[in-house]
Amino acid sequence: MSQGTMVDPAIEVRSPSRFSLRTSEGILGYLLVAPLVICILLLVVYPFVFAIYISFTDRVIGSEGEFIGLANYVTLMNKPDFQASIRNTIAMVSGIQIVKLGIGLGLAALLNQQIRARQFWRGLILLPWAMPAFVAFITWKLLYAPQGGAFNFILISTGLVDTHVDFLSTRELAMPSVIAASVWRGFPFWVISFLAAMQSVPRELYESAALDGAGGWQRFLNVTLPGIRHVVLVVILISTIWTTNSFEAVWLLTQGGPSNATMTFPVLAYYGLQSLRIGEAAAVSVAMLPIFAVLALIVAVRLQKED
Amino acid sequence: MLDKLTLRQKILYYGLLILVALAIIFPIYFMLIVSLKLPRDIYRTPSLLPLNATLQNYDDLLNENHFLTNIRNSLFVAGASTFVSVLFSSMAAYSLVRLRYLYRDWIGRLILFTYLTPSGLLFIPLSVIIARMQLGNTLHGLIFVYLTFAAPLSTWLLMGYFKSIPIDLEEQAMVDGATRLQAFIRILLPLTGPGLVAVSVFTFTAAWNELLFALIFVSSPDLQTVPVAISRLITGDVFRWGLIMAGSILAGLPLMILYCLAQRFVVQGLAAGAVKG
Repeated sequence: MSQGTMVDPAIEVRSPSRFSLRTSEGILGYLLVAPLVICILLLVVYPFVFAIYISFTDRVIGSEGEFIGLANYVTLMNKPDFQASIRNTIAMVSGIQIVKLGIGLGLAALLNQQIRARQFWRGLILLPWAMPAFVAFITWKLLYAPQGGAFNFILISTGLVDTHVDFLSTRELAMPSVIAASVWRGFPFWVISFLAAMQSVPRELYESAALDGAGGWQRFLNVTLPGIRHVVLVVILISTIWTTNSFEAVWLLTQGGPSNATMTFPVLAYYGLQSLRIGEAAAVSVAMLPIFAVLALIVAVRLQKED
Repeated sequence: MLDKLTLRQKILYYGLLILVALAIIFPIYFMLIVSLKLPRDIYRTPSLLPLNATLQNYDDLLNENHFLTNIRNSLFVAGASTFVSVLFSSMAAYSLVRLRYLYRDWIGRLILFTYLTPSGLLFIPLSVIIARMQLGNTLHGLIFVYLTFAAPLSTWLLMGYFKSIPIDLEEQAMVDGATRLQAFIRILLPLTGPGLVAVSVFTFTAAWNELLFALIFVSSPDLQTVPVAISRLITGDVFRWGLIMAGSILAGLPLMILYCLAQRFVVQGLAAGAVKG
């Protein structure tokens, strides 16, 4: 696997087989792929369709419920929790992604310079990402803690604030705090992907740009960025799907609080399941389906084109 | 890129890198020192240094809190789902990469889509399905639902590895009389050895770290996995931070060390989107 593209970049080597009949090849092909396909049909495709169906019923735990059309969605639209979760999900995801894009491009460009011990820095940058997400967010919960937390200790002992700052229970601070923690955990993926892509941009392009008198910044704009734009796009899309659906960050840091200030789709759906109103909970998760479908479709087309 | 760095650039660049390094290392450092402190030291004499360091938290965690049971549960669930995923997906990936048949491309697309399908969409219907199969509150049920992300993930990664290996050797073996299946098992699989290990590690990690499904599908304390056990410690009112951080270190550090040692594989896997970021 060479670096620089999101999927395996190796060129598919495929010459028509001369060694067996096409039919036996086909039978073997279906046999080998069957266990996985059955697994996926049963565990992903069926639940996926089932979720959409449930969202049109008033199902609760213990009762199948009746078909009630769009009633769950109408109820949801009028719920403050749901309205908050739409606003928060959009604000949180765009905040996280914009910061990660900036850090990702900046750090990758920096590491693409004549930096000594690049391997070492790359390994270091991998650390937050190698940490299990739940461990990362629990650690950040401790960093933010009013009692015993590192940030408050530093702020108070340097005299920057007089009283404890309650990062996660203050309305205005909860969201930026969740964003900061998510960026810390997620940025390595961006830096490493961008760096790999930058290193696969042909050197000649830089050389000829330099001959034309382009400075460092101009070379970044005119050579580097166009050279890595596919990777940038795919990273943004894939990461947006994951970030939109990230449950751990919000659940472990704020559980959606204070008073819905950080409530997002997955957390709201989880609460819905806990409240046993399955139909309504399913409607919450299905409501984010259109966004997911559009993003996934673009990624799929992009990735398949690279094949 | 081509220029040697001037002194000013050097100071600026390395200065920035050192800041980044501090931002990365500080949280990890802090979790480590808190894991070595007793509650009275954490709250009454807060400090960024490991004063009065003790292994008491680790001792309490392992001896009083069923943490070993949690680790065993996690190892079992992550191990079993990884084994099933890698088994199914190596067969499927070979089929999708090397063999040609009708609808092959559609099956490939289906797998790509399931790989991108977020678990947030699936946990509600899965909870109904698992309950109906009488697998609620069992580790087997959890293994089952872990296949929803483990199987597409390992297939997607393995397809990449298989494609990167030239077909010539398999063709040569088949000229020499090997069947397709033999060529796959005796030639391609050994050649993909390191890739198989990497895919197993990624799949195992994804399962080891999973929180949402584990929270939903298992409720008995003696069946809880490590992420659930640790997260239960912070949803109460009293935070035993020393204990929580000791658990986090035990859950996270082996993986972090492993990943740093195998950086090259990790970077390749990451480029293929192995772990969510």
